[in-house]
Amino acid sequence: MIGLTLQRREQPLPGGQVRAVLAGAFIALLAGAVLLLLSGSNPVDVYLRMADAAFGSERAWSNTLSRAVPLGLAGLAVAVAGSMGLWNIGAEGQIIAGAIGGAWVARVLPDADGVILIPAMLIGAVIGGGLLAVIPAVLRAQLGVNEIITTLMLNEVILRVVRYLVNGIWKDPGGSGFPQAPLLPDQSALPGLFGRANIGLLIAAAVLIGFGYFASRSKWGYELRLAGSSEKTAEYAGISLRTKIMTVLTLSGAIAGLAGGIELTGSSSRLVEGVANGWGFAGIIVAALALMRPSGVALVAVFFGAVQVGGLAIQVSGVSASIANILQAMILFGALAAGVFTEYKLVRSSRSPRAAVAA
Amino acid sequence: MSSPPAVELTNIWKRFPGVIANAGAELRVQPGTVHAVLGENGAGKTTLMNVLAGVYRPDEGTVLLDGVEHVFGSPADALDAGVAMVHQEFRLIPTFTVAENVALGSAPPVLRRREIEEQVADLAKRFGLQTDPRREVWHLSMGERQRVEILKALWRDATILILDEPTAVLTPAEANELGRIVAAMAADGRSIIFISHKLDEVTRFCDEATVLRGGATVAASLPVSSLDAPTLAELMVGESTLVSQRRVRNNPADPDQPVLSVRHMTVHDIHGIATVDDVSLEIGSGEIVGIAGVAGNGQRPLADAIAGLATPTQGSVRLEGDELGGAGPNVRTDAGLSYVPEDRIGVGLAPRLSVTENAMMRTYRTMGAGPMVDFGDARRHCEQLIDEFNVKTGGLDAPIAGLSGGNLQRLLVGRELATSPKALVAAQPTRGLDVQGVAAIQEVLVAQAEAGLGILLISEDLEELLALSDRILVMREGRIVAEFDAETATRAMVGEAMAGSASKREPA
Repeated sequence: MIGLTLQRREQPLPGGQVRAVLAGAFIALLAGAVLLLLSGSNPVDVYLRMADAAFGSERAWSNTLSRAVPLGLAGLAVAVAGSMGLWNIGAEGQIIAGAIGGAWVARVLPDADGVILIPAMLIGAVIGGGLLAVIPAVLRAQLGVNEIITTLMLNEVILRVVRYLVNGIWKDPGGSGFPQAPLLPDQSALPGLFGRANIGLLIAAAVLIGFGYFASRSKWGYELRLAGSSEKTAEYAGISLRTKIMTVLTLSGAIAGLAGGIELTGSSSRLVEGVANGWGFAGIIVAALALMRPSGVALVAVFFGAVQVGGLAIQVSGVSASIANILQAMILFGALAAGVFTEYKLVRSSRSPRAAVAA
Repeated sequence: MSSPPAVELTNIWKRFPGVIANAGAELRVQPGTVHAVLGENGAGKTTLMNVLAGVYRPDEGTVLLDGVEHVFGSPADALDAGVAMVHQEFRLIPTFTVAENVALGSAPPVLRRREIEEQVADLAKRFGLQTDPRREVWHLSMGERQRVEILKALWRDATILILDEPTAVLTPAEANELGRIVAAMAADGRSIIFISHKLDEVTRFCDEATVLRGGATVAASLPVSSLDAPTLAELMVGESTLVSQRRVRNNPADPDQPVLSVRHMTVHDIHGIATVDDVSLEIGSGEIVGIAGVAGNGQRPLADAIAGLATPTQGSVRLEGDELGGAGPNVRTDAGLSYVPEDRIGVGLAPRLSVTENAMMRTYRTMGAGPMVDFGDARRHCEQLIDEFNVKTGGLDAPIAGLSGGNLQRLLVGRELATSPKALVAAQPTRGLDVQGVAAIQEVLVAQAEAGLGILLISEDLEELLALSDRILVMREGRIVAEFDAETATRAMVGEAMAGSASKREPA
């Protein structure tokens, strides 16, 4: 009897995770091509148009990069927690909390100068996102409550809060009944850079680079890597896991909150219910594909931004924009599936044990 | 012999990267008997049982059940052939009832709850397993959960049951209960393989014993009635090795100047069992004090509690007279107490980090100003360690996963000594190393003792203890039950105390 079985590798394949991500992207593009063929389109043609819409001009780049900003920050938020083995599934809610924090600052300081108002709103956003993450952080650090559940559930909670705000006490009296907060003051808009990109791009890049540098060079970052590698080793080295969990999860929420602040001041003119727009959930995919590394997060975020922009562009020619969502999801599936081969290899199995081991 | 043995494992070889777990191991179990498999940690017991239970495929060797050769591709194959294993970590679903857990995976497509509960109750009654099939598992004690695991095996009609250190989680009363259950199953014609460290249980519960050492069988199917505990201990620990000849030190130890003193220390585990029970000991400057004992008698929690990794329920640790109280592990290191833990990778060293990152674990707090680490400094420190302790690496930035056991341990021991400690707790510092590696670590320990370091050496290797220590303390069931002068002690004397014959602590 001969078949194929998975056998554990003696050592993980060197560079296997990066290869798995690339293989996943490749498999996803192939599978997407099959879907496009089935729906009657020429896949090469569609992919070329998507690439052109995402990278073909300055305007295309500005679209791609301005989408990469919330994706990158949300991805970083998830990756910060992930590098310690914690899963922050609540970036979506923390983005909303950040937007609420920023909008609150704008309500309190409506007449402040932009130079003061914008930083103040962003700080408000960081605090808002961080505060929402403090709840799961405390529960996890002090009581061992699974942070996956708590961060996920808080998404629902904060969504109800923002609905309450835009339908209730923050409802725009001049909004002819629409559930939306009043327009933000004009000076709160982030200055533009080029095309649709605004200085939110510079802020996100600075945070990603700065955090990446800090995480790799600081004592704090070293302790984070140590705790992520082995909790017992971290305890042996005298690192308090509780403190670490608290700071890491709170920081994770704060970064997601910043994404909410940039969205609020950059892309929308008022606080709306849909401010998070799925960025927080997409951030989980970004972080997973980036293998929880800040440097990888930036790359994957730009790539995902491009896929989304491309997906919107091909809509014009009658191809469903859902192709972008399908591609994103399939890249993750492909990478996860290919990831198996970093730990396992396929061997031909037979009933003879010696042959199986030698294969 | 009239009928073939129920289990016959012949010439089993199993190699893992860098380790030979089984080197021609043999096992022969007669039907209807309780067969003990003994050996130190790393002797290859678990690997051999995993081969029998279909978890591993042997590189070489044959598995015969009732005289018929079997090749298992998976644990399910083994189960079909009647082999079931009760692992140390129970595999039960806490929110399911006893009956649901028992039937899980082998229930008929249409569940008749009442019927299954009755069948489970009948089965339990037949073998004297007291349990209520309708209770949810999370209510149950460890002993009761183990009975559910045994019921699972019986439910699948296993004729060969492997119990992997079944008494490790049990209270003495529960262990006696288990003895009765095991006897009932053997009387029913089933074969029970009983893996244990505890020699008295083997003599009480088992009919025959097979002893493994270094992956090979050193004694097969000995009738336990003809054995006493010291002989079994002797077989497990083995003959003296070349590397472990008594090492003479130049400076005599100075027990009047204690560097480390532990007073009335008691540690409870999560089940509330006192794993360390009122232990007091003192280590002088330049003295090596050995802790002997069969694995699982409290050596690990004792070491962890001294190093600040476990919180003792009572007792004190003093370093040169200064009470360490609730100080954390790094505070203790800074005060001059170093720790080489039993688990090199996963406690002492972080598996996914680089050589440099592992080398800086004790000193990074003072490397570089403010919040940043001076990695130049860290690399210099690492190079020094590598140089001084002769560690062979694939480069400073290579992950430590690529290092051999001996090099890992040199790096770990070197790092712990680089802080110039006054006292060192070394747990199983040479276990699993090759001859050269053992010699290198032992030389380092002796040289450090000569320089005045007080060392608490915890080892399962009696030869090593006799060769290196000034005094040997024997731990059994969390207590120090005997003390010997290593100069005059013999293997037999220490082995007897480990196994439980000598119960009084005699002055050295």
